[in-house]
Amino acid sequence: MEEEKEPAMVTPGEVLGTVSEFKPGKGTYVAPHNDTVFASLTGYRRNISPAIDSSDQRPIVEVTGHKAHGPVPQPGSIVIARVTKVMARSASAHIVCVGTKSVREIFNGIIRQQDVRATEIDKVDMHLSFRPGDIVRALVVSLGDARAYFLSTAKNELGVVSAESTAGATMVPVSWTEMQCPLTGQIEQRKVAKMAS
Amino acid sequence: MAGKGGANPATYSPSPTIQKKKAPLFKEDWVRPDGRGFHQCRPAFFRTGAVNAASGSAYAEFGNTKVIVSVFGPRESKKAMMYSDTGRLNCNVSFTTFATPVRGQGSDHKEYTAMLHKALEGAIILESFPKTTVDVFALVLESSGSDLPVVISCASLALADAGIMMYDLVASVSVSCVSKNLVIDPIFEEENYQDGSLMITCMPSRYEITQLTVTGEWSTPKINEGMQLCLDACAKLAKIMRSCLKEAASDSKE
Repeated sequence: MEEEKEPAMVTPGEVLGTVSEFKPGKGTYVAPHNDTVFASLTGYRRNISPAIDSSDQRPIVEVTGHKAHGPVPQPGSIVIARVTKVMARSASAHIVCVGTKSVREIFNGIIRQQDVRATEIDKVDMHLSFRPGDIVRALVVSLGDARAYFLSTAKNELGVVSAESTAGATMVPVSWTEMQCPLTGQIEQRKVAKMAS
Repeated sequence: MAGKGGANPATYSPSPTIQKKKAPLFKEDWVRPDGRGFHQCRPAFFRTGAVNAASGSAYAEFGNTKVIVSVFGPRESKKAMMYSDTGRLNCNVSFTTFATPVRGQGSDHKEYTAMLHKALEGAIILESFPKTTVDVFALVLESSGSDLPVVISCASLALADAGIMMYDLVASVSVSCVSKNLVIDPIFEEENYQDGSLMITCMPSRYEITQLTVTGEWSTPKINEGMQLCLDACAKLAKIMRSCLKEAASDSKE
């Protein structure tokens, strides 16, 4: 990684170079009619040297540093969501984080019955997987319909990461389907996420 | 219905059309009310970050025309809207009740709203925020001629401030044809006496036009001259806008 000494400030529409010189990175775009790389954001221009072993030896030009708009869920992104409603065939959730960034506006997500876990997907009981108020880590599978993004927890590392018991304490995961209340010792059913540590 | 409209004395009749009188200042060798040259724009002032609650905002002042634009989002599209893969742009232009000399007329301006949407839509990279909507709310604080061009330029600055990906900034300038002269960036009085107007909205560094509005009667050479004037002015306006953005960005860094 190599950076310029004094990064220049650019604004949307400023010419950064040509496609033959640079590979367009974040905050830039290419005008197809004249193969020119333009900035699409306000920020500092950075040239990043390509990896030594890559076949493409053009430096990557990026525009970063200034404000970017709030994160927007996209298919493939990992999100943190708060479950708001659990129904027989699906659960609704508010997306609160996309990746590591918190969203500025609320986005609605929906976890369908077939997306809760990877196996025995027809035997899932939604009420034994989530409760309203649970914090869930999920994958955005698609943009969904007009109402909500479609979320999936069908992976080991996805599912409930934090939940409160009926007694009001934060529960401790016991297995991938159970969580226990530290106060009462009561065990509740959840689709628990396997934490990395 | 009871009464026949034909011979009813109570029906409304518009007052006899008054011939549009040219004010004495629009005679042969007139000067502009604010003393500018015909091809001279009003001093432009821009500032970003005028509204705290918004994701991005800008304030613009051209002479007495004062405009504030706030940008919200990208946020989830309204439920009633159909599903769409790309992002959406939602615009609204409104006037304060004290914007015009006649009080209490402030409200949404449908025509400007549609024109603002058309002018900006082509400049935004809508693919960068799929399924969501960016809201652009423009408020004319004081209307004193060339309102729409000011609103458009200010809105593009607000979008850039919000960090919305754009192909280029959008600058907009209008000219009026008053008798034989072309006057750039007309004020309210000049717009009232104009024989025709031309507004260009362009992306200066790409040299592309996103919107062109012509009203009134124009000869081809006049149109050419008018367009050239507008494009030159747009390029200069964009420079001012860029310097404003850079200033704001380097201020926030410190």
